[in-house]
Amino acid sequence: FYLQGSPEAAEEAEQGPEPSAGGAVRRGKRAAPAAAAPQPAKLSRAELYRPPTSEELTQLKETEDLFHSSLLRLQIEELLKEVTLKEKKKKKIDAFLHEINSLLSAIPETPETELTDQAWLSEGVKVPFLQVPFSVKGRFRFVPPAELKVVGSYLLGTCVRPEINVDIAVTMPREIFQDKDNLNQRYHRKRALYLSHIAQHLSKEKLFGSVKFAYMNSNHLKPILLLRPQGKDEKVVTVRLHACPTSDLFKPSRFYPSKNNVRTAWFMEQSTPKEGTTEPPTPHYNNSILCDTVMLSHLHFLSNAATDFPGMKDGVALLKVWLNQRQLSKGLGCFSGFLVSMLVAYLLMKRKIVKMMSGYQVLRSTLQFLATTDLSVTGISLAKDADPSLPVLDDFHQAFEVVFVDPSGLVNLCADMTASKYHQVQLEAKRSMEILDDRMVDGFQVLLMTPKPIGAEAACSKTSELFSCNWGDLLDETCSSSTPISQQLLLQKPHLSLCLMFLIFPQWPIDADPPKHKDVGPLTFGLLFVPEFAASTLEKGPQADHPEALEFRTFWGEKSELRRFQDGSICEAVVWEASTACQKRLIPEQIIRHLLKLHADIPESSICYTGALLESVIRTGKEAGGTGEEAMVSVVCSYDDLSRKLWNLKELPLMVTAVQGVHPALRYTDVFPPIPMKPIYSFHKRSKHFLLPSEEKPCPAYITPLKIICHMEGSGQWPQDKGAIKRIKAAFHLQLAELLRQQHQLVCRPAVTHTDVYKDGYVFRLQVAYHREPLILKEVVTPEGMLKYQDTEESRLLELETLHLPYLTSSLHGLQQQHPVFGSTSRLAKRWISAQLLSDSISEECVDLLVAFLFLHPAPFTPPSSPQVGFLRFLNLLATFDWKNNPLIVNLNTGLTGEQAVGRRNKFVASRSRLPVMFLATPKDQWSSMWTQERPSAQILQRLVLLASESLRALEEQLMDPLSDQDVKMVFRPPLDFYDVLIHLNPSQIPRLLESVDRPVKSVSRGVVKNSSAMNILFPVVDYDPVQLYLQELRNAFDDLALFFYDKHGGEVIAVLWKPLSFQPQPFKVSSMRGKKVTTLNNELVCIPNVEAILEDFEILGEGLVKSVEARTEKWTI
Amino acid sequence: MAAATGRAAGAVPAGYAALAVKFAERQRSHHCLLVKEHQVREGADTAHPPRRTLFVLNVPPYCGPDSLSRLFSRCGHVQSVDICDKPGPGEKKDKLASKFFDHKTLKGFQVAYVVFRKPAAVQAAKALSQEGPLLISTESHPVKTGISKWITSYEASIVDPKELKAEVDAYMQDYDKKVAEEEAKAALEEGVPDEEGWVKVTRKGRKPGLPRTEAANLRVLEREKQKRARKELLNFYAWQHRETKREHIAQLRKKFEEDKQRIALMRAQRKFRPY
Repeated sequence: FYLQGSPEAAEEAEQGPEPSAGGAVRRGKRAAPAAAAPQPAKLSRAELYRPPTSEELTQLKETEDLFHSSLLRLQIEELLKEVTLKEKKKKKIDAFLHEINSLLSAIPETPETELTDQAWLSEGVKVPFLQVPFSVKGRFRFVPPAELKVVGSYLLGTCVRPEINVDIAVTMPREIFQDKDNLNQRYHRKRALYLSHIAQHLSKEKLFGSVKFAYMNSNHLKPILLLRPQGKDEKVVTVRLHACPTSDLFKPSRFYPSKNNVRTAWFMEQSTPKEGTTEPPTPHYNNSILCDTVMLSHLHFLSNAATDFPGMKDGVALLKVWLNQRQLSKGLGCFSGFLVSMLVAYLLMKRKIVKMMSGYQVLRSTLQFLATTDLSVTGISLAKDADPSLPVLDDFHQAFEVVFVDPSGLVNLCADMTASKYHQVQLEAKRSMEILDDRMVDGFQVLLMTPKPIGAEAACSKTSELFSCNWGDLLDETCSSSTPISQQLLLQKPHLSLCLMFLIFPQWPIDADPPKHKDVGPLTFGLLFVPEFAASTLEKGPQADHPEALEFRTFWGEKSELRRFQDGSICEAVVWEASTACQKRLIPEQIIRHLLKLHADIPESSICYTGALLESVIRTGKEAGGTGEEAMVSVVCSYDDLSRKLWNLKELPLMVTAVQGVHPALRYTDVFPPIPMKPIYSFHKRSKHFLLPSEEKPCPAYITPLKIICHMEGSGQWPQDKGAIKRIKAAFHLQLAELLRQQHQLVCRPAVTHTDVYKDGYVFRLQVAYHREPLILKEVVTPEGMLKYQDTEESRLLELETLHLPYLTSSLHGLQQQHPVFGSTSRLAKRWISAQLLSDSISEECVDLLVAFLFLHPAPFTPPSSPQVGFLRFLNLLATFDWKNNPLIVNLNTGLTGEQAVGRRNKFVASRSRLPVMFLATPKDQWSSMWTQERPSAQILQRLVLLASESLRALEEQLMDPLSDQDVKMVFRPPLDFYDVLIHLNPSQIPRLLESVDRPVKSVSRGVVKNSSAMNILFPVVDYDPVQLYLQELRNAFDDLALFFYDKHGGEVIAVLWKPLSFQPQPFKVSSMRGKKVTTLNNELVCIPNVEAILEDFEILGEGLVKSVEARTEKWTI
Repeated sequence: MAAATGRAAGAVPAGYAALAVKFAERQRSHHCLLVKEHQVREGADTAHPPRRTLFVLNVPPYCGPDSLSRLFSRCGHVQSVDICDKPGPGEKKDKLASKFFDHKTLKGFQVAYVVFRKPAAVQAAKALSQEGPLLISTESHPVKTGISKWITSYEASIVDPKELKAEVDAYMQDYDKKVAEEEAKAALEEGVPDEEGWVKVTRKGRKPGLPRTEAANLRVLEREKQKRARKELLNFYAWQHRETKREHIAQLRKKFEEDKQRIALMRAQRKFRPY
């Protein structure tokens, strides 16, 4: 294909109108892509069919071979441009480095003193090392460095923004070392003293913005000195000074992993070594010294690998971004950028990567390698020729958990990393590979642009619940890689995987003491639930007579008991107390509290579990019990029974073909599911067959009608005229009511558009549908006599109600079966939107779909396994999704293929301006986004995005710091200060007052009692909400003047915002005189809103409901 | 407030008179009804005869036909009051107006046509602008708003099944009769040529024709297209081969160009900052 015959090309060149001109334009464009202002939307035909040049062909081919698609290639190029260091900055940094160089060589020598005698150091500098035990032999003096060399990513060009670090290896001259400096931290202390002396001198210089100490990768054996330039460049670069010995100072064989270099007697401060005991090996200690000796050789090694390999630079930069986004590249035992470079070099050595590859392919191959190789089992080594004297991989495995040996064959690059941390990285790599192979998701966005933070841990970030406790004392201060026992304990439980947040020591000023483990503060753990087991109340152990039973008993302690199971076996088992879904979600908390108490002796009071703090806002009724999952199930049961009854109804002239629920409670997403109710007669005004609200009493409780669509069989007997169909439907409603009363003794109340049925304490609203009705509403006959179908407003609404909503309801019902927390997440999300007074500005179905998206396309996370996490993700989605440039594709029932999704995206871009601001595409609704067509408007969406990001920030802060006394409900209390008018309502006339975020202290009788078995009653008051009726009237009357906001779940205030446009004086027009008055302005007749009268209208329209109208601004005065 | 009132009374568009109305005595500010004589060509609007019809603008939501009729009855006998959403010719009152179906609820501020029996009353109404604010709700004729209105309308929304059934039955009988008549008429015309000799083909008859719908037309076109496509040989001639190759490259280019634009757009919005 690419070797297209040249004669043909020539031929085409002759045919093409002006190929050379087109080519010139193209080349010009490529040369200056930065000037990519408004380009022509389409290439002309001539340009499209111009014969390709050979370089264009290679570029196209490269794109196809080396990258996924041309879009990905362009995206990656842009990202790299964004993260790499600009030339201008580089020059500044170089100048800065030169100055440091000259300063360092000018530092004066000091006289030789004992190591313990640190009086020569000035008061302003504290030694950045924990000197425990203090006394040690050896002498120290400062001599200016023998050599200064820039090492690491800056030279290789792989450093990525925003944190540009330049590492300088400061070679300490030979003279300051004595024999046996390898022993008992003598080397480390000299190193620390060396750095403190440098710090003391540099801190006097004006050149530096700040001079601080930090631990290298939070390893407390390795302090480093951080230097930042003065002034506005301070943020640009951090120069890190590493002190290191000359490479031949120590004999390498002293530091083999099996050797000891810290004497027990010295460390335990005993006077004489115990006889006969062998000293334990100190691999981590050894490794930390070896690391310093090989810094320069690593640099050479990496620069060799990077020569003639442009893809390496890009690939390493991409990998670093990938790690940064997952917060894996910081803290003790992190997967640092240096490690990644070494890994890429290893893959190059093993020929898994070749120098031809692009940055994207390097990223992919490296992730593939990480995903498939477990370095904690099979270590790898960069050492080429096996020197028999060197330690072998097995020796390293004995000493370290994760093994990756450097080219010298001596240093384990992953010494500080624990196996669990490596597994975390591995898990991330695996998931990323899946994402890259999935065509449904935008891999670039998810992998490289989405942060996976929550500060907690990387692997599961927001999927995980957080709890923190004061564990500082648990950490062994002496061993650098001590793993808390509790972590191992928790890992034994199969269905919780746990990630420890990396320990990160902050930087500290040079005149402060170095931080100890205690200073890290509370530890935060993230938990990742396996949804199938996390909420199970029973933990079945081994059979009682098996040897594992003992292990099980000791692990679980007193909680473990013998139980006989249905299959006859007698097993050890642990049972947790939980009856409702809400309590079941808290089982992990019980487990954690129990285990920590049992094994680590941590009192319950110092553990704080923040996994379910928000659930109180969707708790129903007065009782503290569940969060409504059970209520929802009982609604669905009652509905199922009713639909069976409808199916089997006798004497109906046409069959019922389908019964479909459309109410949110029937897809488990109703914020407050209905509770079975029976009315109290004395509370109401009575009529013959039904009850009416009484004017003297408070408003009766709101009873939601649960809407059900009842499809009737098609038949030739249906009339083909819309008026007649309406009448027939009304006749059906009458007949359904009659038959249900006769055959099933249900109390019914028919109406023109529906029949209300009282059953099991719920009220169902049956609505008959005929499948051809929307079609008949659409019929238009053209002048030529041809029949056409055209959407009308009426037909659209009917289709939405009888076709699309039932389908959505059943799809989401199915989703709930797969993800048990879907419903609760959606309810939390809706509660939040409603609490922010925006529930009328965005449709419920739209929120449901947004939440469904979180479960169907969780990448880069896993599907949320608790409502709170789901809610946080919902906020994150709202806040970060690029609504302007992308459609949100919700692949319900996996009805869309990858190609379709891509096609959808491309078409979206082409017709963006005509589409709704928030575009949701589902398999059944790819082109119209029916649930967001009218709502939300651009302004509301903007406000939503803003509120979401603010709420998210506030919530994350509160959840990470649960000990502070802030109320988590804060994000559910809307700010009211920017509204123009507040209409305060009379609480006794608000039927849903109990649903408000802050429940009223005093409760009012609402004329109902809980009862699900009442049969023969007067029909209760259904769907009567004065506030909604009031809002309706307000919107009808003042829609063009103001926006009305209200929390439909028990809000006590209606917030009004004037529309600024309608307050501009306008010339008199007959059609726009609503609620306005005529006045003269500059001798011209103009109309302005009659605000004083309108404010009084607010009161008049809501007589009995409105307590007061508070005008807060004077914005209308012109 | 007083200043505002004065100004409002002073400024009136040509031809109109401004009448101040208040809901009740205790309200302090008022709305302004703009009234003028309804002007239309003779015979164009039979429901609102000119000269004796008063056109009223900016009728507040709580002011129904009854209140309007009461307000203007002091100027002369009011024959009818027609309230509608926007100005336009009056619709003929349907005799068969149903109690249950096709309800139109009035929303917000309206316009109204008040038809007097005598033309003099129109002038009298315009003269009302000199007087103080008119009251919509008085002791003798209270207007319900708020809770009491909603309770009343809730009560009204409950239908009597028997009445509804009777109405539906009556309508359907009418409808059935109408359909039967049409069918009989169509059966008579079946196969009978008209004066020019054309015979109307319907779906009924012995040889049903294609339905004349847009969908059917499209279906036929689609079928034709498929038939043609089946006959065509693909990649048979050298030029076809060449064409497909060119087409492929053109597609790639197009895609590339689209992608470039998208990137440019995203770059402009700073979408490439990872953190």
